[in-house]
Amino acid sequence: MAILLSFDIDGTLELGDPPGGVTTEMVRKAHEVGFIIGSCSDKPLSVQRKIWEDMELTPAFVSAKHQLGKVKRENPADAYYHMGDRDTDYLAAKDNDFGFWWAHEAAEQPWLEFDMNNHEQIPISPM
Amino acid sequence: MARPIVPVPDPVSQPFWDACNEGKLIVQYCSICDRRQYPPEATCRDCGFDFHLSWQETSGRAKIVGYSITYDSRLVQWHPLQPFLNVIVALEEDPVINFHTNLIDDFGTNLTEEPDIPIGATCEVQFVEAAPGRMIPEWKIVK
Amino acid sequence: MAREVNWERNHDPVGIWNGRGKAVLIGRGHSPTDRRWDGETLEKSLGAYMMIAVQNALDDVGIGLDDVDGIIGSAGGQGNGAPLSDVWGPRPYFDAPYDSEDGLTHVTGQWLRQQMGFKNLRYINNHGDPVWNLIGQAAQAIADGRAETVVVTYPNGNLPGRYHQDPSNEARGPAVWPNTWGWGLSGQGFTFNQYCQKYGTNHDRMAPFVVQERKNGLLWEHSYYAQHEPGEFTEEDYLNGRMIARDLSIFDCDRPVLAAAAYVMTTAAKAQDMKQKPVYILDHTESQFTPRSLVQTIDDTEEWTDIQAQRSYNGSGLKPEDIDVFAPYDGFAVFTQYYIEAFGWRGVKRGEAHDFYAGDISLKGPNPLNSGGGNMGTGRMRTVFITDPLEQLQGRAGDRQITTKAEVAVTHGVLPITAGTVVMSTSPD
Ligand SMILES: [Zn+2]
Repeated sequence: MAILLSFDIDGTLELGDPPGGVTTEMVRKAHEVGFIIGSCSDKPLSVQRKIWEDMELTPAFVSAKHQLGKVKRENPADAYYHMGDRDTDYLAAKDNDFGFWWAHEAAEQPWLEFDMNNHEQIPISPM
Repeated sequence: MARPIVPVPDPVSQPFWDACNEGKLIVQYCSICDRRQYPPEATCRDCGFDFHLSWQETSGRAKIVGYSITYDSRLVQWHPLQPFLNVIVALEEDPVINFHTNLIDDFGTNLTEEPDIPIGATCEVQFVEAAPGRMIPEWKIVK
Repeated sequence: MAREVNWERNHDPVGIWNGRGKAVLIGRGHSPTDRRWDGETLEKSLGAYMMIAVQNALDDVGIGLDDVDGIIGSAGGQGNGAPLSDVWGPRPYFDAPYDSEDGLTHVTGQWLRQQMGFKNLRYINNHGDPVWNLIGQAAQAIADGRAETVVVTYPNGNLPGRYHQDPSNEARGPAVWPNTWGWGLSGQGFTFNQYCQKYGTNHDRMAPFVVQERKNGLLWEHSYYAQHEPGEFTEEDYLNGRMIARDLSIFDCDRPVLAAAAYVMTTAAKAQDMKQKPVYILDHTESQFTPRSLVQTIDDTEEWTDIQAQRSYNGSGLKPEDIDVFAPYDGFAVFTQYYIEAFGWRGVKRGEAHDFYAGDISLKGPNPLNSGGGNMGTGRMRTVFITDPLEQLQGRAGDRQITTKAEVAVTHGVLPITAGTVVMSTSPD
């Protein structure tokens, strides 16, 4: 199965501004487990690429926050999740039928509970 | 339909909101400057006094001047309705006077694509209940 | 100590300023630039940063605290003393001197006097305005003999948490008229959209301007981006910016930061004993308007900015072709074309600014617009609009030094609805 995780940066990743609870180690682990990973953030694309370089990881995508739909079109997967700290993150996820975690929920790495062979998309909960 | 943010009248604006509750759209009028004024203020913006300031009923008809769409408001209560439409209409008898409206019956919220807003179209005021007992003016395009 | 009000030159016809060439802008000092205060570290508070900036400004020109007899500042950075960011309370305050907003989100001249030990102040004014007006006010005070050597202070705070978010489900006072219908930054987008409709242009044509400002800003050591996000910002980045409102993207909005700047202004005579070259204030003018109704339209905007530009030209006696360094505000990038067109800099007429952006506005080219990078290139400090023209005229702008003539500068901001214009020159006449 292919499961895509989209990380917001500011307020979500520890390298964000302000730093969030999702550490570089957690991102690396998700990558190793086999998730399709990338970032969707308000940071300029060039800055997002630099942050992935700093994490020494190669993302499948970097995207502006409002372009989650494009990420979905360009990255076929069986399930899609975005995580972030702002209402705009939630709404971007909702508009594009992604599952969603608030940044503090994401810091618990809920994706590690997933069965990578048999996973059903968890729909977004109401705001 | 309830609105995300409800206006609380103050002494200056109370007559305006009272009129809304009675289904009338009124604006201030300064007779010595011969000008209408909206939003209401304690004094006339031109002469600087309230000596000649009174309230005047309007036709409630207006034309669409332009619009905006809000994707990321600083007003948290509006977040669940993003993106939403913000239309500006100008009073038919005095186009200097303009008003906000969210325009349509469902007040143009949770837009999925950019709407086709007919600039110049004539609208009529209609009053909607923002909260129990608190009517606010909205505009509807005259078909 | 008499507190000055109504010092502005805002009634037409203003005429040539009678203080022309009498007051000098000579030194500048900056604090570090941070994204926000962490809410704990008092030596990184706005008050602490303001003190660093004042000391740096004094050092810049080689004078001491006792040489200063005036402080003119904006306690919060905005008109009426309001803070650029939010206020700290109702959270608990800290031990003195951080036992109130003063030092955390505001910095008054009185607080600075107490903390830094100024002994000879005879003029303090926290009247509170954007930085252009403060320079104008200080120039006026010096020309009128109210003070001889003034420190102008401009603190910009930014606190933890989201900026200016309003959770209320009720609107009161003036907020009733926009908030009931969810109106906000949509206003800037709306006016800009009217501009685009009127002149047949579009938002994407802003890209060369914003990209150039970001480039220029990276060459200013106090820029937020130079210090914290030094990568290149590209047209691709700009064009992919998330829209906050229609025709207003996140990259048209300046990023709130925490920083302070201070300027030394003095008389032409005293300037001779200071370390830097004097830059003479030829004129200052101010303006404030109200929209004809609820929403500011392109008609309002063009009328106001025309008045601002004409008033400045009347006050200085200059013509557009006399302006070498031009620094029109960009706190929303979608403002700047209104100013360029109103002032007619480099012959740009109404509706032509985006064509101008498409030409050569690079630092070393013929039209080095906002050579300091503006707020887009430096963060929401506004002070680059004073520091860069000053340094260009003093010939110490380093990598930002323009290659065209730099003898007369005009800097203008903050909003179409309320602005100050300062005209500076390397020569007093
Ligand atoms: Zn009047």
